[in-house]
Amino acid sequence: PVSSRQAFPLPSLPRKQPTVLVVCGPAQNGAIGLVCARHLRIFDYEPTIFYPKRSPDPLYRDFTTQCEKMDIPFLSYLPTEVQLINDAYNAVVDAVLGAEAEAGEGREPCAAILATLKLLRIPIVSLDVPSGWDAEAGGSGGISPDVLVSLAAPKECARRFLGRQHFVAGRFLPYDVQKKFELNPPEYPGTECVVAL
Amino acid sequence: MLPRGGVRGGAGAAGAASPGRHRRAPGVRAAAAAPEGSAARPAARDELRAPPRPGAPPLPQPREPPAPCPQASPAPHPGDGLRSPGVGSRGGGDVLIPAAVCSPRSKAEAAAIEKELLEDYRFGRQQLIEIWGHACAMAVTKAFPLPSLPRKQPTVLVVCGPAQNGAIGLVCARHLRIFDYEPTIFYPKRSPDPLYRDFTTQCEKMDIPFLSYLPTEVQLINDAYNAVVDAVLGAEAEAGEGREPCAAILATLKLLRIPIVSLDVPSGWDAEAGGSGGISPDVLVSLAAPKECARRFLGRQHFVAGRFLPYDVQKKFELNPPEYPGTECVVAL
Repeated sequence: PVSSRQAFPLPSLPRKQPTVLVVCGPAQNGAIGLVCARHLRIFDYEPTIFYPKRSPDPLYRDFTTQCEKMDIPFLSYLPTEVQLINDAYNAVVDAVLGAEAEAGEGREPCAAILATLKLLRIPIVSLDVPSGWDAEAGGSGGISPDVLVSLAAPKECARRFLGRQHFVAGRFLPYDVQKKFELNPPEYPGTECVVAL
Repeated sequence: MLPRGGVRGGAGAAGAASPGRHRRAPGVRAAAAAPEGSAARPAARDELRAPPRPGAPPLPQPREPPAPCPQASPAPHPGDGLRSPGVGSRGGGDVLIPAAVCSPRSKAEAAAIEKELLEDYRFGRQQLIEIWGHACAMAVTKAFPLPSLPRKQPTVLVVCGPAQNGAIGLVCARHLRIFDYEPTIFYPKRSPDPLYRDFTTQCEKMDIPFLSYLPTEVQLINDAYNAVVDAVLGAEAEAGEGREPCAAILATLKLLRIPIVSLDVPSGWDAEAGGSGGISPDVLVSLAAPKECARRFLGRQHFVAGRFLPYDVQKKFELNPPEYPGTECVVAL
């Protein structure tokens, strides 16, 4: 969430309202998207969530409730006419599929979502792995995010990331974990929890 | 697995410290700290702690210009009955309360807010404690920025009580560690609650030392640490200091000459009436909203950590929160 603000500071947004669409998949990546949306709301953005395949996991349902009780709108469907999305939102947060997802886009509703995201002209912020990319091989013909936020540490596919900003969110990692996995994290300024690479 | 009560062994034992990070020795600092000396401590620090005056209304803070704080609406408010006598009604009568203190809450209201967050909003307790602990650490970094610390090492002692306030202290300590401070924890009465034990493990695995005892000789603490975070007792605690080990801890904290940062309620103060003869924290970090006792807070900085509160909760309890700059999660009143 903080990285979204850094990449798209409120005064810089082209639309009159600071709208952001957050597209959430069914697994953990989607839940992270829900929390991101809630924080964006707290930071005075106007997030809207599209969360078509809700998880029965009680933890994820709690995150959903927190968003609903913050009055964040949930879309009942994603317009297939891409221009509607381009016109309504300043940016899209892609929290559809994360590193645990299988490569490829076979499953609904993710396949349809990704088909729409590929056609967007507004910037995309992908959480951890650009959805549809293989977490290791990277994507070809998949979505092209402008911003990537790597969770804990960048995934292999980040080598193929060609967008304008790559953030790492790994400040909370204990030192022993960093050493054990040879993460070589960058310096985080002040009390920031994300840093641009 | 790390020993529960004791402090981890010498620098060689853990092995995984990042370069340049000094491993702390156990509780008794003794001669090792001598070179720093007390001469370096700024005399001004003593001025910051005016003793609380029982019965007198709190004076306006002399040090800081009162932050703009929206005045409460004149509508009748459920908390009016709990207001301390002599203050007067809402709106017009708030002149005796420093403008720096916004909408203080009773214990019952604070409990109601927390209950609503947990039950209606489905926040998890772990989530809330993490949010609060992180916010407290942020407040410490603002009140005591790293370059401003008098001691050579950025040491902070975090004293954690047995209940939720203590767990928030544990999370605060972990974040202080992440922010490059050197926290040491004193957590004598550990909770059996699995959530709090997890927070303890997170700290242990971050190599944060746990003291096995708190020195009764206060000068040892004064010499070793830059500040103390008081996470002993929170709003839910009963007034008074009868129970061990809290009573002994509070007796020691009262004698400290280094600054104290209290989480939510200065330990030993009644959450509503405030303290007389209790500890005098320099910094207070109110969680969600200030408690009634905050009216009697005479220290130099009062932070509120309430950014995460949903708007509907703020409206329902008429919290009138201050403006938070940028993406900050705490703000000084």
